[in-house]
Amino acid sequence: MNKYKKRKKCVIYFFICVNCLFLSGCWDRTEINDLALVTGIGIDQKGKDVMLTVQLIVPKLLGAGTSMNGSNTGGGGATIVRSGTGKTLADAIANLQEKLPRRLFWGHVKAIVFGEKAAEAGIRPHMDFLSRNPQMRLRSNVLVASGTAKSVLELLPPIEQSSAEVMRELSKSEILMNATLKDVLQMLSDDTRAAALPMVKILPVEKGKTKLETIPFINGTAIFKKDKMIGSIGDKLTRGVLWLRNEIKQANITVSVKGVKGKITATIIHAHTQLIPKYEKGSWKMVVNITSQDDILLNATNFSLYNEQHIHRLEKELARATTARVEAALQKVQKEMNADILGFADAFHRKYPKEWNRVKKRWDEIFPTIEVTVKTKITIQRPGMNTTPQGIPAEEVEK
Amino acid sequence: MIEKGKISALQMGIMMHPAIIATAILLVPAITAHHANQDMWISPIWASLTGFVTVYIAILLHNYYPQQTVIEYSEQIVGKFFGKIVGFIFLLFYLHTNGIIIREYGEFIVGNFFVRTPLIFVMGSMIFVCALAVRGGVEVIARLSEMIVPVVIIVIVFFIILLIPDMNITNMLPVMEKGIFPSIKGAIIPQSWFSEFFLIAFFLPYVADQENRKKWAIMSVVAVLFTLFLVNITVLFVLGNITARFVYPVMSAVRYVSIADFLEHLEAFVMAIWVAGAFLKISVFYYVFVLGTAQWLRLSDYRLLVFPSGFLLLVFAVWTAPNLMELSLFLGTTVPFYLDSVQTIIPSFLLLIAKWRNKMRDEQK
Amino acid sequence: MRFFYQPRKLTKNRSEPLTATQKERQEERQDALSFDLAQNVQTLQSIYENCSDVVFRPLRVGGTTKATLVYIDGLVNVDELDSIILPSVMKSTASDPLEMQHLFEQTLTVANIQKAKTVAECVEHISSGHPILLIDQQNEAFSFGIAKWEKRSLEEPTGEAVIRGPREGFTESLGTNLSLLRRKIKSPKLKTKSMKLGAYTQTNIIIAYIDGIASDTLLEEVEARLARIDIDGILETSYIEELIEDNPYSPFPQVLSTERPDVVAANLLEGRVAILQDGTPFVLVVPVSFYSLLQSSEDYYQRHLVSTAIRWLRYLFLLISLLLPSLYVAVLTFHQEMVPTTLLLTMSASRELIPFPALVEAIIMEIVFEALREAGVRLPKQAGAAVSIVGALVIGQAAVQAGIVSAPMIIVVALTGIASFTIPRYTAGIALRMLRFPMIFLAGSLGLLGIMLGLLIILTHMATLRSFGVPYLSPMAPMQGREMKDVLIRVPLWKRNKRPRLTGTDNLTRQGPNQKPNPLDGDDKTRKENRHD
Repeated sequence: MNKYKKRKKCVIYFFICVNCLFLSGCWDRTEINDLALVTGIGIDQKGKDVMLTVQLIVPKLLGAGTSMNGSNTGGGGATIVRSGTGKTLADAIANLQEKLPRRLFWGHVKAIVFGEKAAEAGIRPHMDFLSRNPQMRLRSNVLVASGTAKSVLELLPPIEQSSAEVMRELSKSEILMNATLKDVLQMLSDDTRAAALPMVKILPVEKGKTKLETIPFINGTAIFKKDKMIGSIGDKLTRGVLWLRNEIKQANITVSVKGVKGKITATIIHAHTQLIPKYEKGSWKMVVNITSQDDILLNATNFSLYNEQHIHRLEKELARATTARVEAALQKVQKEMNADILGFADAFHRKYPKEWNRVKKRWDEIFPTIEVTVKTKITIQRPGMNTTPQGIPAEEVEK
Repeated sequence: MIEKGKISALQMGIMMHPAIIATAILLVPAITAHHANQDMWISPIWASLTGFVTVYIAILLHNYYPQQTVIEYSEQIVGKFFGKIVGFIFLLFYLHTNGIIIREYGEFIVGNFFVRTPLIFVMGSMIFVCALAVRGGVEVIARLSEMIVPVVIIVIVFFIILLIPDMNITNMLPVMEKGIFPSIKGAIIPQSWFSEFFLIAFFLPYVADQENRKKWAIMSVVAVLFTLFLVNITVLFVLGNITARFVYPVMSAVRYVSIADFLEHLEAFVMAIWVAGAFLKISVFYYVFVLGTAQWLRLSDYRLLVFPSGFLLLVFAVWTAPNLMELSLFLGTTVPFYLDSVQTIIPSFLLLIAKWRNKMRDEQK
Repeated sequence: MRFFYQPRKLTKNRSEPLTATQKERQEERQDALSFDLAQNVQTLQSIYENCSDVVFRPLRVGGTTKATLVYIDGLVNVDELDSIILPSVMKSTASDPLEMQHLFEQTLTVANIQKAKTVAECVEHISSGHPILLIDQQNEAFSFGIAKWEKRSLEEPTGEAVIRGPREGFTESLGTNLSLLRRKIKSPKLKTKSMKLGAYTQTNIIIAYIDGIASDTLLEEVEARLARIDIDGILETSYIEELIEDNPYSPFPQVLSTERPDVVAANLLEGRVAILQDGTPFVLVVPVSFYSLLQSSEDYYQRHLVSTAIRWLRYLFLLISLLLPSLYVAVLTFHQEMVPTTLLLTMSASRELIPFPALVEAIIMEIVFEALREAGVRLPKQAGAAVSIVGALVIGQAAVQAGIVSAPMIIVVALTGIASFTIPRYTAGIALRMLRFPMIFLAGSLGLLGIMLGLLIILTHMATLRSFGVPYLSPMAPMQGREMKDVLIRVPLWKRNKRPRLTGTDNLTRQGPNQKPNPLDGDDKTRKENRHD
C-alpha cells in the first residue's frame, strides 16, 4: 500500500516536471505579428551574385478608431518589396533578413519569378533550395519574367491584392502555360530535362496612373533545357504547344470559310490530344491525334449554321487552323530549339521501353528528326443562342 | 498472468494496423520508389508475404503454448538458459526498434514542423504520453486504437480523394518496364515492416475469442497491405518520377493538396492525426517491451517498469543514429535483415524445435 | 464478450474500529421502551434536550390511562391530529392493552399506524414527522403516518429543458419522486430498496431498479458501495456521487444525475440502477458511458433523422468547445501557413495593435468568459440584467475598440461558450470546459502537436475509466457494432429491439420484432376507407 502511494507521488512529481517543460517549450512559437508574409519571390542574377526580391504583404493597421468605420476593415494589405543579395539564394535570404524587423515567412508564397538573366544562368540551385525548405509550397507557381523579377514584383495591381496573386490567378485560368514548383521539379528530373515555364510581361500603364499601377500578365513561354533558359515562344506558339501537351483548356479559334466574307470564332469545350508513337526499323514517328468539341462563339458571316454541309465545311476549316498552329509550334520547338517539352520522350518510353532505353542518351539527336503527323478532328456541338446570324435580314442568310 | 486484461481478436487486428503503418508511410515510400520507380505500387504486395508468413508462425507457436507469450514459451522450447537468451534478444530488439521508431517520429516532427524545438523534448513528451497508455495495460491500448484507427483511416481516404484532381495516371506507365525485379527489390524494405506482425505473439494469449484470431490477424495484414498500396499509388500518381527525391513523399504529396484556395497546406493537420497513429505504434512496442521484461524477470506487475523503461527508450532513441541521413541509410540497408532475423527467422526456428519436441513427446507416449 | 462487464470491486472488508458517529448511534438507542410512561418520556426528553420544536403533549386515553404524544412541530399535519386522532383517542373508553389495540385497528381513521418498540425507533418516527403516542403500562408506542411539511410543487426542470417531452421534474420530496417514477413504470418489477445514510442527517436513500433487467452483480456493487459510506451528512446526491464513483480524480462525471423522471425511467428500462435521495431533485443513474452523457432525452422524442443530425452537431461542438481556442492559438503562433492568405491578413491586421501574445489573450478572454458564466449563475435575478450588459461590453465591441483584444478572439470565445452549452449534461460540459485551459497551454507551447498530445492524454484517461465496471468509452471502444446504433445515429424505435449489453446479458429483448409501421402490407382500415373518396 505504502509502496504504491510512493510510486503515485513519484508519477505526480514527474508529471509536474514535464508540465514545467511544456510551459517553457516555445522554441518554434512566433506571434503572427512578428512574421513578414512573403507572397512572391523574385530571383535575379546580379553579376555573379544572386539577388532575391521578396514581396511582402503588410496588414493594414486596424487600430482603435478605424475598426468602427467598416470601410477599411477587410484583409486588404499593401505590398512592399525588399531585396537582398548573396552568393546563393540562402545567402541572399540571410542578407535580406538583416534588413527586415520581422521574420520572413514562406508559407504563403504564391509565385516564384525568375528574372530572364537568372533563368539563362540556370535555375537548378534555386529549385533545390525552394523544394528543400519545409515552409515552401510545392504548389507555388513558377514563372519567368521578361526583364527582371523585381520589376514584376514591384507592381501594385489595382484589382488583386498583390502582383503575385495576379500571377497565380492568371496561371490558374490555364489559358496559357501553367507550372507549379512540383511540375518544374518533375520536368527537370525527367529524362529529357526540358522544361516550359510561363513568361510574364508588364502590362503598359494606363494613362494617368503611376508607373507601378499595373499588372503583370502571362505572355508566351520560356523554354528550358538542362535547367537553363534557351529561348521563348510567343502566345500563338504556346497554344500550339499546349495542344500537343494535351493541356489546352480554354481557347478560341477564329477562321474564315472559303468563299464567305467575315469570320467565325469557335470556342473549345472539350479537347483531347493523343500522342501515338511509332517505331519502325530505326525510324521514329509520331502521330498526334487531336479531337475537340467546340461551340460557336461568334458568326460575323451570313453563313447559316443550321446546315449540315456548312458545319462540315466549318469543321474542316477549324481543323486546318488548329493543325497549322500545332505545326508551327512543332517547327519552332522541335526543329529549332530541340527541346522536348512536348512529352514525346515519355510517349516512346511507355510504348517502346527497350528501344527507348537504348537511345536515351542520344535523345537530343533523335528528337528533331521525328516525323510528326498531326491529325485533327473538330466537331461543332452547339451554335450558341442564335440560330442564323443576327442583325441581317433573313434573305441575306446563306442557307 | 501478469496482464489481467482481455482483448478481442478484432481489437488485436485494429491495434496492429497503426503498429505497422505509422512509420511505414514516412521514409519507406521514398526507399521503395528509389528501387522500384514506377512499380512502387506493386512492392507492398510482395512485401505482405512476409506478413502472412510471420502471422502464420506466431499463430502456430501460440497453438502449442496458448497461455504464454514468446518470452515465456521460448524457455519451454529451448530450455531455461537458451530460452532466457532468446528472450533477451527479443527484449533488446524491441527496445532498440522502439528507439528507432521514436527517433523516426522525432525526426519527422522536428524536420518538418518544429525546426527549433529540441529533438529530445519532442521524443520525451511522446514517450510520456505513451507511458500513460502503457500503464493502462493492453485493454486501454486496444480501446485507444479502436478510437483512433477509424479516424486515421478516414483522414487517409479523405486526403486521397482531395488529391484526385492532381493525379496523373500515366505516372505508373510503363508497368514492369524492367521486369518483376525492381518491384521485388523495392519490397525488401517494406517487407521488414510486415515482419513486425510478430508482435501478435505477445497479444495472442490475451485474446478472448480465440476462434477469430486467425481471421483478424490475416485481415490486419490485408488492411496494412491495402493501405500501403493505396498510399504508394497516390504518391506515385501525384509526384511521379520525383517521389524518391523527397525524404517524406507522403507529406510532400499532402502539401500539394489544394481545393478551392481554402483547403491548402493541411500538412500540420495531417501531422497531428499521424501523431495519433505513431502514438499507438510506440505504445504497442513499448507495452511489448515492458510486458516481456516483466515476464523475463518473473515480476508480478509490469507497471513498475513503465517509467524507467521510458527513460531507457529515450536514451536508445538518441543513440540510434547521429542524424537523419544515417537513420535513413540504416533503414534502407540493415533493417530488412535485422527485423526479419529476429521477428521471422528466430520464431521459425522456435517453431521447428517446438514441433520436434511435440513429436518426441507423442512418440514417448 | 462478457468479460468486459464484471464490475470491479471497490469495497474492501474493513476491519477498522467503528467511528465515533457509529458508536454514538449504537449506544444510546438500543434500549427498549419500558412499561413506565414517565421513564420513557424522560428518555425522549433527554434525547430532545434543547430542541424547542419538539412537542410533548400529556393526555389521558379515554380520560383514564396516562399517555404522552410526542411530535415535531412543522413536520406533522396538525389539522389531522386535532380532528381525527386526538378526539378518538381521548374519547375512547379503552383502558387495557387489548382494548387499546382494538381502538387503533378499528376506530382510528388513519391509514398508516405502526408500533415502535425501542427508543431508536421512536426517534426515527419522530424525526420523519410521525407523531408518537406513548401510553402508560405499555412498552410499545404507536406512530401515526400523518407527516406533512412544506414542499415545492412539480415544476419543469430548468436544467434539462425540452421542447417536446414531459414537463414534470423531480422535487425535493422523496415520496413525490418515487410516485413520479411509479407512475411511469407501473409494473411491480420496479423495486425500490431503501436505506439511510448520514449519521446526523439520516437521509433516506432509495435504490430503484427493475427486477430481471438490471443485473444482480451491478445491484450488489451499488449496494456495497453505498454501504461503505460513513459520513455525517448527505445534503445532495453529489455527496453520494463523489463517494461511489470509480475514479475520484477524473474530471469526467462517471454517474448521470438528472431531474427528469422520464430519463430515469428510460435508464431503468435499459438495465441501469437509479439512486434517489430525499431532499434533492437530482437522481443518480449508474452506470453511464461517455456517449450517454452526450444524449438528451429529447433525442428519443424527436424524429430519428433529426435526432441523428443533432447528435452529430453535438459531437462537432463538443470538439469545438474543447479545442477551438487552442486551435486558434496553435494556428496563429505555429501554423500560419494553414490559414488562407486573406484570412491570415485579416487576423494579422486585427492583432497588429494588441499588446498580448495570442496565448495570453486567449487565456484572459476564456477566464473572463468563465467568470461571466459563473456570475450569471450566482447573481440574484435582479442583478442579472446588469451582468449581461456589462458582460457584453467586456467581451465585445468595447474591448476590441480599446485595442485590448482582437475581434477574432471574441468570436472564438463566444463560439466556444455556445458550444459547451450544446452538451445536454451540464457536468460533462463543464468538464470539457475545464480541460480547455491545459489545452490552450499545450497549443501555445507545441502547436498542433501539443493539442494532439493533450487529446491523447485525455483519450487515454477516458479509455482507462470505468463506470461501475462499464468501460467509459463503450460502445465505441471496446467496439460493439450492434450498440453503435445509439451513438453514431439514433435508430428508429422500431429497430431498437435489444437492450444495450452494458450491465448484463440476462434480459436483452426489449420489444417484439417487425414493428416497423408498414400500412401497405396489412389491411389498414384508414386506407380502405379513403379509397372510396
